[in-house]
Amino acid sequence: MKYDLMIIGGGPAGYLAAERAGHAGLTTVLFEKKNVGGVCLNEGCVPSKALLYSAKIYDYAKTGSKYGITFEGASLNQEKVIKRKKKVVKTLVSGVKGALKHNKVELIEGEGFIEKRSADGFNVSCAGTVYTGSRLMICTGSVPLMPPIEGLKEAYEAGFAMTNKEVLDLTVVPEKLVVVGGGVIGLEMASYYNSAGSEVTIVEMLDRIAGMTDTEISTILMKNYEKKGIKFNLQSKVVKFTQSSVIYEKEGEKVETPADKVLVSIGRRPFTQNIGIENIGVSLTERGAIITDDKGRTNIAEVYAAGDVNGKSMLAHTAYREAEVCINNILGKKDRMRYNAIPAVIYTNPEVASVGETEETAKQKGIEYECANISMRYAGRYVAENEGGDGICKVLVDKKYNKVIGVSVIGNYSSEFIYGASFMIETEMTVDDIKEIVFPHPTVCEVIREALFAF
Amino acid sequence: MATAIIMPRQGNTVESCIISKWHKQKGDAVVVGDILFTYETDKATFDEESSVAGTLLEIFFEEDDDVPVLTTMCVIGEEGENISEFSPEGASAPAKEQAQEEKADESVEEKADDKPEAAATTPTGDVAKISPRAKNRAEKAGLDAAYATATGPNGRIIERDIAKLEKSGPSITKAAATSYVSGTAYAGSGIGGRITAEDIEKGGIEEALVPADFVEFEDEKLPNIRKVIARAMHHSLASMAQLTINMSFDASAIMEFRKGVKAKGEELGLPNITLGDMVVYATAKTLLKHKGLNAHFTDDTIRRYNTVHMGVAVDTERGLMVPTLFNSDRMTLSQISTNTKELAAQSKSGTINPDILQGGTFTITNLGAMGVETFTPVINPPQTAILGVCGITTKVKEVNGSIATFPSMGLSLTINHMAVDGAPAARFLKDLCTNLENFAVMLLA
Repeated sequence: MKYDLMIIGGGPAGYLAAERAGHAGLTTVLFEKKNVGGVCLNEGCVPSKALLYSAKIYDYAKTGSKYGITFEGASLNQEKVIKRKKKVVKTLVSGVKGALKHNKVELIEGEGFIEKRSADGFNVSCAGTVYTGSRLMICTGSVPLMPPIEGLKEAYEAGFAMTNKEVLDLTVVPEKLVVVGGGVIGLEMASYYNSAGSEVTIVEMLDRIAGMTDTEISTILMKNYEKKGIKFNLQSKVVKFTQSSVIYEKEGEKVETPADKVLVSIGRRPFTQNIGIENIGVSLTERGAIITDDKGRTNIAEVYAAGDVNGKSMLAHTAYREAEVCINNILGKKDRMRYNAIPAVIYTNPEVASVGETEETAKQKGIEYECANISMRYAGRYVAENEGGDGICKVLVDKKYNKVIGVSVIGNYSSEFIYGASFMIETEMTVDDIKEIVFPHPTVCEVIREALFAF
Repeated sequence: MATAIIMPRQGNTVESCIISKWHKQKGDAVVVGDILFTYETDKATFDEESSVAGTLLEIFFEEDDDVPVLTTMCVIGEEGENISEFSPEGASAPAKEQAQEEKADESVEEKADDKPEAAATTPTGDVAKISPRAKNRAEKAGLDAAYATATGPNGRIIERDIAKLEKSGPSITKAAATSYVSGTAYAGSGIGGRITAEDIEKGGIEEALVPADFVEFEDEKLPNIRKVIARAMHHSLASMAQLTINMSFDASAIMEFRKGVKAKGEELGLPNITLGDMVVYATAKTLLKHKGLNAHFTDDTIRRYNTVHMGVAVDTERGLMVPTLFNSDRMTLSQISTNTKELAAQSKSGTINPDILQGGTFTITNLGAMGVETFTPVINPPQTAILGVCGITTKVKEVNGSIATFPSMGLSLTINHMAVDGAPAARFLKDLCTNLENFAVMLLA
């Protein structure tokens, strides 16, 4: 049989594309070499949230006295935390499988390899069988970046150095944990193991943590974690891994920090090797990402790509949307991908959530903006629930159009309400119009409304 | 005293008419004899002239509305007269709501009069002609009315055009609206194709990939008559077993006869009798002996007529019309000629009584003048047959052992094989050919 669509990779981009395509009546086959759900569901976003929730409960127990509650003998059982995490992942993976089945997607659990273009479209082989389809979608995701630093390969093989995958399966909390890379993954894992009792040291090459997050907010986050005992080494470059320590250059000096485990989370690279894309001539960037246009099309007709593999945003929710854009275009519906209102969340405690421009990016782009920067303490619920909280909310407004172009918040629940800011940015409502919207009271999200009245 | 103008009843079978065009707008001065509006029945178009003078105070229906006959269409009277009592049931929404708006709030009316000033801020010709309701709705929805297809009277953009635009877009975000230049083609990259501030910064785009002076196609909304023809033709072929048989005859006799009429006709006060008229005449006479073809066929009955109501297909600018020559078998050749011309003229001008466009028992359609040699005419149900008249070609025949040429005219007869069989149809066609070849004899009979 000839498929309407063959999808390689069953992560967020791949499985969502398959669901949407199947729902629309396209005969769809999905190849997944490991587990559907991809990194996000199996060894990324979701399992880390399970761990962080356990940590949050533990944090509450430890700090409850501030709220008049004292727990005696609270403890964190790492084995049970990991066991529960596995249960969460299993539930969600089977949920994805169920959705695929419901949408009549044929799931092939094996490695799909692009053989060639054929008269009928494309041939993909898997475990000796050749599948033919008129369209191809590449959603092979990304893998952790492992730079050629001395000793890293050996340290990884010995189990001393870990990626996001191994760090989520540790059954023993390491006494000393070094995290190389202070981005989202590094910070979330540092946050968990800090709560779980590890002595955590973060080594970051840049002069700031949390990547593209607003610097003022990332600084507050850093201070919060410094208070909790995490040591930060910024502008520090790792030069060597031994089997029990990490050596890095800081302010011109070599520093060696001993560790029981080290997490390497310096970034991810698109996974485009050994999947046969050279057989059909799909163009890649220098970094090995598949080049796509705003409709998810590659340089080869009827070949689409979505998710981390295009190297653009590398977030699961971006992948979802990119996948939908691809499917809509396949179905002949007008749709294009926009990256200007993609929310980003760091699930630390406190959470950081942002969408759109930060002051830094707005300046870079030469946008004339005004920024309302207010304390989270304007929100009654924040005060009630965050003893000693020092969070802030920044709302950026484009002066020319009087529209919201960016919102950044540090404070819990921000992960859940940041989408509201995405709405404002995507729909380009004017500030005056947004002022007419009623927010529930008392909630943390009211802070955005408060900030808007600064304009 | 204000006078209500009603949708006239055109023929006993017409229950409603569609307004094709308003020639007068609300507020216009009207004198007796002014054309108020044009309306169409299934097949004909009429102009309604005003029988009173005054000001057109209110219009209750819009163009394209299907209005039941005898319903109040508009009111003419003195300015300021109360016209609320005239508002008919089922007046089309915008007009009706407009009337309510006026009753509820006089200021709304003033706003409507403000139109030219408001339009000045949007410098396109189209947007200048927009109803206040439509304008309001477009603004609320973030739509550029310049994109709307005006379907109101005199190219005015009315509310339903904006409603349509809401679905087809493009719409503009609130922020983008501040810098938006009406009528410019922007690439909408926002949610649902909305035009965003960024799109405006990029400026207008040339979306047309073909040169601007070349338009690949033009869409035209189907006029009512086309819809009616489409329905009738499809129904005809879908509901019958149609079979066409072809025969030709020596047209020497009728051509000779026509020559005579041409030479002496005017002197004798005869109309310009055409070959087509002669075929109609001969067919009407011949059909009386073949009543199976002069019949209506329904599910369980064949109604054979003892008189021939001859449908004569007429090509008009609006499309095909088939007026009926009632009792054509009892007409003289000159009556047939005169009446056919009269009906054709009425059909072409659109003033024909709709009742005359039905009731035929048989139809003749003539493509001979265009040089058609044979074709398959489509029966007008519930009739059982239709005769197609083809052009004249030169053929050869043997006369006394030598070859002679003669003018040959083709006839294509389509029958409904459900009602008539091939052999009786062929017998009719044969008789008809014989009669036409001996036209003078038939005239005497």
